[in-house]
Amino acid sequence: MRIRSKATTASAIALASLVALLVFTVGGAGASQASYPRSQTLITSGTQWGNITGFNPYGGNYAAGMIGLNLETLLRYNPVSDHYINWLAKSATWTGGRQYTIVVRPGVKWSNGKPFTTSDVLFNLRLLRFNTSQWNNLYLNVKSMTAKQGKVVVNFKGTPNYVQWQNAMYNIPMISPDQGKVITSAKLLTTYNPSKPIGTGPYVLDRPGFDPTTRVVWMKRAHWWAADQKLSPAPKPKYIIDLVNTSNTNSLSAVLAGVEDLNNNYLPGVEQLVAQGKVLTFYKKAPYHLSANLAMLEPNTTVKPLNDPAFRRALAAAINVNQIVKQDYHSLVLPASPTGLLPTWFKYQDKAAVKKYSQKTGTAVAVALLKKAGYTKDSSGYFRNKDGTSINLDISVPQGWSDWETARDMIISSAKAAGIRMHAVVKDFNTWQADRNTGKFDLVVDNHYQISDNPWSYWNGIYHLPILNTGAGQQNFNFERYSNLKAWKLVEKLDKTSPTKTATIMSINSQLQTTLMKDLPVIPLWYNGQWAQFTSKYWTHWPAAGTDRQFTPIMWGGYLNMTGIDMITHLAYNRGT
Amino acid sequence: MGRYFLRKLGIYSLTFFVAVTVDWAIPHLMPGNPVLTLMNRLQIQDPRVAQHVYHHYMRAFNLDLPLWKQYWYFWVSLVHGDLGTSILQFPSPVTSIILHAAPYTLGLLIPAILLSWYFGNKVGALAARRKVLDNSALPLSYALTATPYMWLAILLSWTLAVTWHVFPVGFAYDPTAIRGLSWAFVGSLAYHWFLPFMSLFLVTFGGWAIGMRNMIIYELESDYAHYLEALGAPQRLVRKYAFRNALLPQITGLALVLGAVLAGSLVTEIVFSYPGLGYQIYRAITNEDYFVIQGIFLFIIVGVLIANFVVDIVYVIVDPRTRIGMEGGRS
Repeated sequence: MRIRSKATTASAIALASLVALLVFTVGGAGASQASYPRSQTLITSGTQWGNITGFNPYGGNYAAGMIGLNLETLLRYNPVSDHYINWLAKSATWTGGRQYTIVVRPGVKWSNGKPFTTSDVLFNLRLLRFNTSQWNNLYLNVKSMTAKQGKVVVNFKGTPNYVQWQNAMYNIPMISPDQGKVITSAKLLTTYNPSKPIGTGPYVLDRPGFDPTTRVVWMKRAHWWAADQKLSPAPKPKYIIDLVNTSNTNSLSAVLAGVEDLNNNYLPGVEQLVAQGKVLTFYKKAPYHLSANLAMLEPNTTVKPLNDPAFRRALAAAINVNQIVKQDYHSLVLPASPTGLLPTWFKYQDKAAVKKYSQKTGTAVAVALLKKAGYTKDSSGYFRNKDGTSINLDISVPQGWSDWETARDMIISSAKAAGIRMHAVVKDFNTWQADRNTGKFDLVVDNHYQISDNPWSYWNGIYHLPILNTGAGQQNFNFERYSNLKAWKLVEKLDKTSPTKTATIMSINSQLQTTLMKDLPVIPLWYNGQWAQFTSKYWTHWPAAGTDRQFTPIMWGGYLNMTGIDMITHLAYNRGT
Repeated sequence: MGRYFLRKLGIYSLTFFVAVTVDWAIPHLMPGNPVLTLMNRLQIQDPRVAQHVYHHYMRAFNLDLPLWKQYWYFWVSLVHGDLGTSILQFPSPVTSIILHAAPYTLGLLIPAILLSWYFGNKVGALAARRKVLDNSALPLSYALTATPYMWLAILLSWTLAVTWHVFPVGFAYDPTAIRGLSWAFVGSLAYHWFLPFMSLFLVTFGGWAIGMRNMIIYELESDYAHYLEALGAPQRLVRKYAFRNALLPQITGLALVLGAVLAGSLVTEIVFSYPGLGYQIYRAITNEDYFVIQGIFLFIIVGVLIANFVVDIVYVIVDPRTRIGMEGGRS
C-alpha cells in the first residue's frame, strides 16, 4: 500500500465520519429556516440535569416546562402572596366536611381543539388509582367522584387529608384523555410518554427541535384560553428553549454572553454581576433571591451523642450560621428562622415560642451547654461521651456542591472550636443519598423539603413515623430518624384539619415549632434561594421585588404551576434588539 | 493466514467475554441504589406509595433478583440484542441513547485519530531532517503529548470559549439552531465541534510526531540506509524507504493508542458538554444508571476490539514480511 493512498484513505474516512455525524444529527429534520428567531425566543436553563427523559408528567425527569407551559393544573399557588389561583378550575373548594367540589372552567380547549370538560378532570383524578402515582394515598380515601353540570364532586370515605388534597390540586397535571387512555395499569403510568403531548397550556412541543441531550423547544399556541378570557396576558416569546444543564461555569458564561436569558442554577458571585449591571435578580440587594427551601443539618438521632437533645442544642449553638451566610454565600441566602419555617410560612410562626425557645449562639454558649448537660473534656481538649468514649462525628454533603462543602468546613471548624470533634466524609451524591436514607451517617447537610402551600410538608418530612429500614428506606422523610409519636400524631392531625379551623391549625403549628426548637431533630441553617439570574438583552419585565411582578422566576418542576408561568406571560420584548 | 486470524478471533472472543463481565460487574458493585436516585425525583409524600413505586422499579430493572440471576439475564438480553432500559431516563432504551450519542463521539474520534496520525507522522518525518523544525516542533510535540486530554480541553474551553467567547462553551450546535440540511446548521455543528476536536487532535498529534521523528532518525542510521547511500542512491529514495519502515511501528501504535484516545474523548466531551458517549457515560456513572454504563462500555469494547482487529489486518497487508511469513515463505 502506498503512503499517499493511505493518507487519502485516512482523510476520506475522517471526512466520511464528519458527514455521518451530520446525517445522524440532522436525522429526519428538514430545515425551512436556519434558526429560531432569537428576539422572539426565550432561552432558559437550570432545570434539566442529564438527558430529557420525555413527556410523562408522572415520571421524575420530564422536560422542563411540561407542566406549566403545556399541561396545566386545576389551581395554581402564589407563594409570594400566599394565595391560590383558580386556573382550569373556576373554583375548587371544600363544600362539606368530606366533600370537595371542582367547578370546571368553561371555554378551555386542549391543543388538539377539543374542549376541556368535567370528564377530563375525572379521568385525571382517576389516574390516582394506580399505586405508581405519587398521589395514590389520597385516592385510597376517595369514596366517589361524580361529574355533572360542569362540576366534579369528590366525596371522601373518612376525614379527608385536607392539606395534601389541596396541595395536589395545584400539582396534578391535567393530561389529555385522548393520549392518556393508553394508561390502563400502574406500569403503563410509568412508561407513558407521548411524542407530542396535548395540553391546555400556552405552548406546544416543537418536536423537530427536541433533542434529549440538548434542549426542549416549546412553541406558542395561536390561542390560549387564559389570554382569550383575559385572565392572563398572552406570552410574548414565540419559542421557549430550555437547555440541559452543563456546569455552573458554562451557565455563567452563557448568561453573560446572552446565550441564555434566564438561568436557575446557583451561580456564586452573582452579587458582583448585579452590582455591575450584568445580570438581574429578583431583589437588587441581598438576599437577591426568593427562598426555595431550608438547608439544615440533619443529625442521626439514633447514634451517640446525637441522640441527646442537649448535645444537639449545644451543636446548634456552636455553628456560626452568619459566617456561612456572609463568607460562603456572600449574603445570597438568608439565615434560617429557629423554626426552620420558610418566609412563605411565617404567618404560622409562633413569635412567643420563638422568643422563648430560640437560644443564643456562640462557642462559649455551646461549651456551657455541653458542660451543663454533663459532658466533660478528654486530655486532647475535646468533649467525650458521658460513658467516657470519645466523640468524632462525621459530616457529609454531596461531593462537588462547592457552596455546601465550604459550609461543611465552617461547621467543622465551629464545632471544633466548641470542643466537638468532627470530620468531613466525602461522598458522591448517590452514596450520600443512600447513606442518608438508610441512616449510615452522623451528620448531613440537606435541603429536601421544598416550598409549598402549607408547612405540613415540612413537618411531615421532619416528624414522619414509622421509620423504615427496608425497601425504599426513609425515602422522603425523617432522615434524622427522630422518633416522637406525639409530634407525628400532630402532623397527621394537621393534615386532617379543615382549613376553616384556623385556631387549631395555628395551635398545631405552634406545638410542632416548639418541639423542633426544644429537641432540634434538625438544625435549621439557611434558606437556599430560588436561584434566578436573568438578562434584559432580549426580554424585560422580569419578576422583581417592589413591582407588580411578584412571581417565582423559576422553571424547576413544580414552580411554573405556582407563578412561574406568570413570569413568562409578563415578559416584554426588549425593543432595543 | 486463516489460522492466524482464527487465533486472533479466539483471543478477541475471550477478551470480549472478560471485558463484558467486568463491564457488568463494576456498576453492580458500586455503592448506592439507582432506583433511590430515580425516586428522589418523584417527591412522593406517602411512604406506602413510596414502597409501591420502589418495588415496581426494582422489579422492572430485575434489581430485586440475586446478582447471579441478574448476570444471567444480562447475557440472555445481550444475546437478543437488548441492552436494557435506562434507569435515569426511564423508559428510554439504552440502544436509542447510544445511537443518539455515538455519532457525536465517532465524529470527534475518527477525524482526530486519523488526522493526528497522518499529520503527526508527516511533521515528525519532516522534523527528522530539518533542523529548524526539529528545534521547534519537537519540544512542542513533547509538551502536547504530555498534556492530559482533560487539561488541554479545560485550557481551550477557558481561554477560547469562556474568556474570549471565540468558540461556544458547550453543546454540539447553537441552542437556537434548527436542525436540518442548511449551511447554517452545518456551520453551527462545525463551530461547536472544533474545540473538542482540537483537544484530541493536538495531544495525539504530539505523540505521533515524536514517534515518527525518532523512528526516521533510527532508520536513517541503520545499515540498509548507509548501504543505499554508499550505492549512490538519492537521499529522496533513502528517506522514502526509511519512512516506510518507520511507519510499521506507528501502525502498531495506532492499535495501542485507540483505548487512550477513546478515554481522552470521553473526558473531552464532559468538559465541552458535547453530547457524545463520554458525556452520557459521565451522567450515567454519576446517577448509577447501570444499563447505560453497561451499554456504552459494551459499545466501546466492541469498537476497540474491531479497531484492533482491523489494525491487525492492515499490518498484515502493509508489512510484506508478516504476510510472507504467514504464507510460509521466507522474507
